[in-house]
Amino acid sequence: MIRAENLHKNYGDKRALNGIDFSIESGEIFSLLGPNGAGKTTTIKILTGQLKPTSGSAEIMGRDVLEQRKFLRPRMGVMPEETNLYERLSVRDNLRFFCRLYDAGFKRIEEYLAIVGIADEIDSPVKELSRGMKQKVLLVRSLLHDPEVLFLDEPTSGLDPASAASIHRLLERLNEEGLTILLTSHDMEEVDRLSDRIAFLHGGEIAALDKPTSLKLEHAPGRLEVLVEFEDEIGEVILDINSGNAAEKIAEWMKEGRLTAIHSCEPTLAEIFVEITGSELK
Amino acid sequence: MKSRMRIIAAILLKEIQDIKKNVNLLVMYFLPVFFTLIFSYFIPDMPSGFALNFGLLFLVVMIGMYVPSMLIAEEKEKKTLEVLLLSPAGAEEVLIGKGLLTYISILVVTLLLALIVGLEGQSLLIIFISTALISIFSIFIGMMVGLLSPNQRSTGTIGLPIYMLLLLVPQLASISGEGIMSFLAALLPTTYYFHIQERAMAQTLQFGDIMLELSVIVISIFFSFLALIFLYRKKGI
Repeated sequence: MIRAENLHKNYGDKRALNGIDFSIESGEIFSLLGPNGAGKTTTIKILTGQLKPTSGSAEIMGRDVLEQRKFLRPRMGVMPEETNLYERLSVRDNLRFFCRLYDAGFKRIEEYLAIVGIADEIDSPVKELSRGMKQKVLLVRSLLHDPEVLFLDEPTSGLDPASAASIHRLLERLNEEGLTILLTSHDMEEVDRLSDRIAFLHGGEIAALDKPTSLKLEHAPGRLEVLVEFEDEIGEVILDINSGNAAEKIAEWMKEGRLTAIHSCEPTLAEIFVEITGSELK
Repeated sequence: MKSRMRIIAAILLKEIQDIKKNVNLLVMYFLPVFFTLIFSYFIPDMPSGFALNFGLLFLVVMIGMYVPSMLIAEEKEKKTLEVLLLSPAGAEEVLIGKGLLTYISILVVTLLLALIVGLEGQSLLIIFISTALISIFSIFIGMMVGLLSPNQRSTGTIGLPIYMLLLLVPQLASISGEGIMSFLAALLPTTYYFHIQERAMAQTLQFGDIMLELSVIVISIFFSFLALIFLYRKKGI
């Protein structure tokens, strides 16, 4: 569905992208995870045809993103990081305007606003909405024309957990219906929850690319952290994950009713990012 | 073609909805009406026809140029243009939609000003048509100012000298007579528009009497259009 090949982008002397390669299958949620300045937004702008790469190529549905903009625009939805809505207009007028541009019906407006929990604000001027509400309107705007590919640039940045969760639920539902999603974020929990595959972007390069589970297993220390009752207090025991000794001990504690908890000691994506790149995920 | 028309209509409708809530621009529309009312009814010593002359010149220069430049610059400043250009709308449709709003609103206010001063018959027809023509020139200049301005504030810096030149020079030349001002005025299409107004209000004119003035305005439209295309191709929106 989406293919980026050897993408380079320089801004003057500054190198923003240094040879990015990846491809995204149809119906996949693919995330670019990296700190600010890693090249996430630049990658999205190139893929959406807003920015010309210094070298390399990008295709969506087998078509060059710069040469086939007319074909691709109605098939793409883009939720930018900036809350670029028409502030004086109401939510309804903003969304209807985009429906008219895409020749899409108005029927989705109320449905999507209800899913993200701001149906009551439909006639409020955008300038009176909170940042979180504006983010939700941006997401709804990007979906009104039933795109086949959705680009989300930091979709829940600065949102409260409940608002973020409502956006995640909608994205998961749309993905189940076949929507391909490219997401950029520096929120590791969001990326972990939503993504089929993740690319760690660091200094304009892809430092790692895999499924979240594979990344975690690859960097897991191979240990179990077991909490066991010893007389009147709970103690922590560390065991090697695949040793026969661990299985025997755990079985014994279970029989004795002393086992309290078992943790697999998997690292978080943020810890893996630090391990691979040597930089914090901020 | 059908989809282009649909997109232009969508942009025009959005601009109409938006301008109703845009106080900065609404004030600009109010000013020529206000000046014409004041000069017509509260300053009886004003020369005959001055009220409409001033009101119309203010309308075509200040609104014709200021409104499109502000609309384009605001889209850039607030980054709404980015998402607009990611939709099926192209830059041409955006410019046409904004230009149409300005054009229609100028024609409506022209009729209102004519109503205030009681203009009718052949004079009204000539003034209306010449206003309809000079407004196209003004809107093209305003669009160029919008293309050159990264934000709303810079439309003033870039546009104000041009607006003042086109607004004040024809009027000052009519007072000062021969000299540099008169020479400058002869180069400006607004001077010829000013002449049409003066003559149309002083006597009954036929279109044959103002062929020179109308020709200058039409040629100015042509050259301002070429300049707009050149700037758009060189700089983009």
